[in-house]
Amino acid sequence: MSQSTEEKQLNPTLAYLVRKQSLVVPVIAVLVAFAIGAVLIYFQGVNPLSAYKTIFQSALGSERGLQRTLEKTTPLILAGLAVAVALRVGLFNIGAQGQLIMGAFFATWAGFTFTNLPALMHIFVGLLAGITAGAIWAGIAGVLKAYRGVHEVISTIMLNSIAIALLDYLVNYRFKEPDQSLPRTVPILESAKLPQLGFIPLGFLLALAVALFISWLINRTTTGFRLNTVGTNKFAAAYAGIKIKYVVVGGMLLSGGLAGLGGAIETLGITHRFEPAFNKGLGFDGITIALLARANPIATIPAAFLVGVLRSGAPTLQFDTGLEPEIVDLLLALTLLFVAAPILGKLIFRKRAEKTQNVSSGWGS
Amino acid sequence: MRRMRILAGISILALVLAACSSSSDSDTAAPAEDTSAATEEAVVLDDSNCAAAEVFCIGLVTDIGKVDDKSFNQSAWEGARAAADQLGGFAKYVETVDTKDYANNIAQFTDKNYDAIVTVGFLMAEATVVAAQAYPDTHFIGVDQFIGEDIPNLTGLIFPEDQAGYAAGYLAGLMTTTNKLGQVLGMQIPPVEKFALGFEAGAKAANPAVSVTTVYHPPGDNAFTNPVWGGQEARKQLDQGADIIFSAGGATGNGGLIEIAKDSGAGSTIFCIGVDTDQWNTVPEAQPCLVTSAMKLITDGTVELLTAVFDGSIAGGNFVGQTGLAPYHDFDSSISADIKAKVAEIVTGLKDGSVQTGVTL
Repeated sequence: MSQSTEEKQLNPTLAYLVRKQSLVVPVIAVLVAFAIGAVLIYFQGVNPLSAYKTIFQSALGSERGLQRTLEKTTPLILAGLAVAVALRVGLFNIGAQGQLIMGAFFATWAGFTFTNLPALMHIFVGLLAGITAGAIWAGIAGVLKAYRGVHEVISTIMLNSIAIALLDYLVNYRFKEPDQSLPRTVPILESAKLPQLGFIPLGFLLALAVALFISWLINRTTTGFRLNTVGTNKFAAAYAGIKIKYVVVGGMLLSGGLAGLGGAIETLGITHRFEPAFNKGLGFDGITIALLARANPIATIPAAFLVGVLRSGAPTLQFDTGLEPEIVDLLLALTLLFVAAPILGKLIFRKRAEKTQNVSSGWGS
Repeated sequence: MRRMRILAGISILALVLAACSSSSDSDTAAPAEDTSAATEEAVVLDDSNCAAAEVFCIGLVTDIGKVDDKSFNQSAWEGARAAADQLGGFAKYVETVDTKDYANNIAQFTDKNYDAIVTVGFLMAEATVVAAQAYPDTHFIGVDQFIGEDIPNLTGLIFPEDQAGYAAGYLAGLMTTTNKLGQVLGMQIPPVEKFALGFEAGAKAANPAVSVTTVYHPPGDNAFTNPVWGGQEARKQLDQGADIIFSAGGATGNGGLIEIAKDSGAGSTIFCIGVDTDQWNTVPEAQPCLVTSAMKLITDGTVELLTAVFDGSIAGGNFVGQTGLAPYHDFDSSISADIKAKVAEIVTGLKDGSVQTGVTL
């Protein structure tokens, strides 16, 4: 990094922290959020340490708990990746939720429609259907952005509502399970179900592999270089001969495809059918995760895992201590607040930090 | 200077953390409070002995929503608590946030060998069946769940909603002066539809000249949580001349009630009827127009079934709970004695079977 000459004047520990601030800030944000959460938990008459212990113990302490946690983490990794990739191109994809449920629905559709496929092939077709649906849904916003200048925050958030209404219609009329008063589809066929490896859901391993692939794609390929360049400075990118419109549309297709894959894995691995009540909030958690991970694809894994642990441990928390499960949302909201607001960075690193932060957060604009 | 600031920052952080840890050191309040709450309710102090035969433990899992939702979750929880009180048992609940957590939330209780587990709501039926088959030693009660299979340790608590609707419709049929009634309803699922068909049948039985306009919320996630829609539809029906409206369907129905209560004729020429619980208490904003509510006595049914679990007389299958009309409250004096007597007669007739609603669903 170019600041190295400047850093020599600092004491070595601080210099290290400044260099690693993309790691340090989220970690401290989480700690501060937990500290504030502890105070709130205390005022509800519960010992905060035992409350946190309960969460982590139930989420990680048994094979069943761990399985549940990994199941919850899986779609969150992909939703986080979806938002992170878009951020790299300088786009704020608020629509991961809509893309994810489109992916979930069309994976379900593929799961019950194709009857004569061998298992591996059927799973592949289901995942592909999910990716395609999510990519198309985000691609609409990409095309609108590239060719009509429609702001992606507006278009993706509106596409969320359209996706919800469209799927409500499909699941209530066109694809409703017969003789069933709930709006839901029939279950997918056995051949389309993603299996478990012991207590590890196969979908989780798939999500890890995708995160590694995206990290490689973003950091080690020309495609990734184009995405990053457009995200950092699109005028420079245009000057350098990068076709911005293609990159914007391509970035949104990739982003939506990841979200759609998240919905597809959730469907083929866990829910096994589509119901509008499923997949609630996963795409929005993706925003938290991507920001916590500072748009770093690998970092979405621990960020998603943290959210997965909290969500997985919440019911036992209520069972053991009586705390309402919404305390988890509070912790996440506080964390997000501290990650998003540059307060912590400034408090710790002050002006010096600001310079490095601008370099590392070119996607923020 | 710079270092000073950093130090200041770190020390503040340290203070915060210290405050937390010291607070947690001194904090033995949590378990203490737990016990005191439990002693109030019953003699059983906690759920550590649920495996023992003489300790009766009741667990309750809510549907998506809170235990103080002023609706079916709350009614069932009140039943579980009352049963724990009467039987000297112990009751605890877990609230569901995500439909995928039903099984895990039920497992919280089966892990601790609870004796009876109440699951609330139509949506949890499948998860309850699976859990009941996996834990044959625990008795499950599914509120609003029709049990199609024969599982000895699972009892569905269902209600003849058509009877409550019929009684409410009968009252409305006698009271209307425009001969136009309205219904603003949540999603068209069997329990709601039974209320609606019962209401229409009751109204026509009381007054053959009456016409009933019925509208269901379009299917969707928000069918029971759309007060704006409920309000708009109620307003439409008032404009079309309806003078008594049955507004039923969670927050959607409540939106209708509140809109009707705002009408200038509310309480004198315009009336509304609530649903599920006595909404005079749960939706006070509706009091200006609320003559009664078509109730499902979930609390009573839950207590009754839990008592049967306790004394071993419980059977699998479905248990039909009671329905009824809520008191008239402030309208008691303005409704004529003749009408009240006729409605009371119908309510008795519905109970002993001499009055049939004719609703088959």
